[in-house]
Amino acid sequence: MNAWIAISPLLLLVGGGLLVMLVDAFTKERNDLATVTAATLFLSAGVSLFALLSGKDPVDVPEVFGAFLATDRLGLFFDVAIGLGGGLSALLAGGYLREHGLERGEFYVLVIFSAFGAMVLARATDMLTLFVGLETMSLGVYALAGFRRGSPRSIEGALKYFLLGSFAAAILLFGSALIYAATTHTDFAGIGATVAAGDADIKLLLMGLLLVLVGLAFKVSAVPFHMWTPDVYEGAPTPATTFMSVVVKAAAFAVFVRVVITAFGDDLSASSAGGWPPILAGLAVVTMVYGNLAAVGQTSIKRMLAYSSIAHAGYLLVGMAAASVVGEKAISAVLFYLMAYTVSNVLAFGSLILMGSRGREAVSFDDLAGVGRRHPLAALPMVIGVLTLMGFPPTAGFFGKYYVFSAAVEAGGGFVWLAILGVLASAIGAFYYLRVIVAMFMKDPVPGEPVAVPMRSGSVTAALVISGLLVMDMGLMPGSMLDLAIAAAEQLFAG
Amino acid sequence: MFETYLPVFLMIGVASAVALGMFLATTLAGPKKPSPEKNLPYESGSNTTGANHIRLSVKFYLTAILFVVFDIEAVFLYPWGGMFRDLGWFGFVEMLLFLVILGVTLVYAWKKGALEWEK
Repeated sequence: MNAWIAISPLLLLVGGGLLVMLVDAFTKERNDLATVTAATLFLSAGVSLFALLSGKDPVDVPEVFGAFLATDRLGLFFDVAIGLGGGLSALLAGGYLREHGLERGEFYVLVIFSAFGAMVLARATDMLTLFVGLETMSLGVYALAGFRRGSPRSIEGALKYFLLGSFAAAILLFGSALIYAATTHTDFAGIGATVAAGDADIKLLLMGLLLVLVGLAFKVSAVPFHMWTPDVYEGAPTPATTFMSVVVKAAAFAVFVRVVITAFGDDLSASSAGGWPPILAGLAVVTMVYGNLAAVGQTSIKRMLAYSSIAHAGYLLVGMAAASVVGEKAISAVLFYLMAYTVSNVLAFGSLILMGSRGREAVSFDDLAGVGRRHPLAALPMVIGVLTLMGFPPTAGFFGKYYVFSAAVEAGGGFVWLAILGVLASAIGAFYYLRVIVAMFMKDPVPGEPVAVPMRSGSVTAALVISGLLVMDMGLMPGSMLDLAIAAAEQLFAG
Repeated sequence: MFETYLPVFLMIGVASAVALGMFLATTLAGPKKPSPEKNLPYESGSNTTGANHIRLSVKFYLTAILFVVFDIEAVFLYPWGGMFRDLGWFGFVEMLLFLVILGVTLVYAWKKGALEWEK
């Protein structure tokens, strides 16, 4: 029975998803689907949060799921992040889809089942579960990206994402096959033990590790595997973009952490001379620099936020690279950053959704011109959203960056340069984030063009209030969330 | 390393040589008396009409996907049936869960009109 309790957040999502499917099939009224979906995801997050806060170590049930699904604090932590991000995206969709005439029940079903795949991915302790979780999550997200069937741009994005995503999945699968050939294990713990004992074929193993890293770097949209990100983020309906940028990224980083720490945490693979730390550090450098520089020239805010999400993947990779030296501290910083990034990004995308009303979506800087003076209250969440993405105190984004960079400084050596580069890159970031505020409050709209009219939607407002409160809460009192992150990281290294 | 795989490379070489040789031999030695009928893409059957990029109704895909889903169900059910006594109640409940989920999807597909050809 314990086994079922241990994976109850996942079971809740399956039950909720099937329920939403039936409700969608049997009723014509779709107004409550967003609420039911959000409630399911929040409930799943709440159960996990309760399990985390109750302080007891999670039940360990190796005989049923243990070999394939982790039931540890790290898994619960990501349940919270995924459930929260998915639930908020569903609330945003509740307003957006109705406003723009896209209301179809499939959206919510796909959101729930993708979130389920994301949770499986975040709990994966075996290459097989990793792949199954990745595909369960991705298939739903491909469909979400192409949800606006009438728009060529949406179709283009979805097709691009699907083709490139399939290639990335195949590369990852090839990598895990090589790792299996080198170690005769598919479970992370077994791989780690074999490599540590020196029984692995090093050349095959290195090749396999590289290919797996490529597959994961694609999912977190690290440069140079980011090509799909701007087009897909721009083409997809904005709630789907929100979902992609928070849930997919969180789950991909979760399994990233498990792969590098559990399977490749030995002294050889995690040394700065060879193995993954220099690779991740290099990826972090190009991702931070390119993401921030490319974001500067954008005229569409949606596209700018896509490049900003690439840049954030770069900051997170700094933390991942530093984890080779200061493991617990760096991983807890990465976890905190992901939670902060989840609420911050929902706030930014949600404000963008709020700014568009029937038939007219606000996407570019010009669309937002003057909206701050006309509708100051509606502009407030956007202001907080860009400030937290920028890393301005006292918001969640500031502490996320602070913890990650201080972990890198503590790691010493070349990682200090990584942190310095990160701070410089964030300074570039300030330019394009502040441009949003400038456009809203200091620019006049193009003559003849109307000022954007914010939509009125209870569920969008609710999502903005929740994410806004969490951003400020994690900015003013980061301690409680950091404690959860530290506990999760400690258990990962202990086990 | 190379010695181990030498038979494989030999096999690849022989196979390619045979295949290429057959093509070359028929091209060089065979008699050629082309006629319009012989130059058609298909020599038998009725002539094709219309463009080759026609759009097929999405109904074909729905039917195909539903077929695959329930085909897979049968594939799972057979070995389960063979092992039924050994798996006991645990296997029974597991399979019941699987069938319930499939049942929900069938009801969904039905209500959404995926089973109706004429509409």
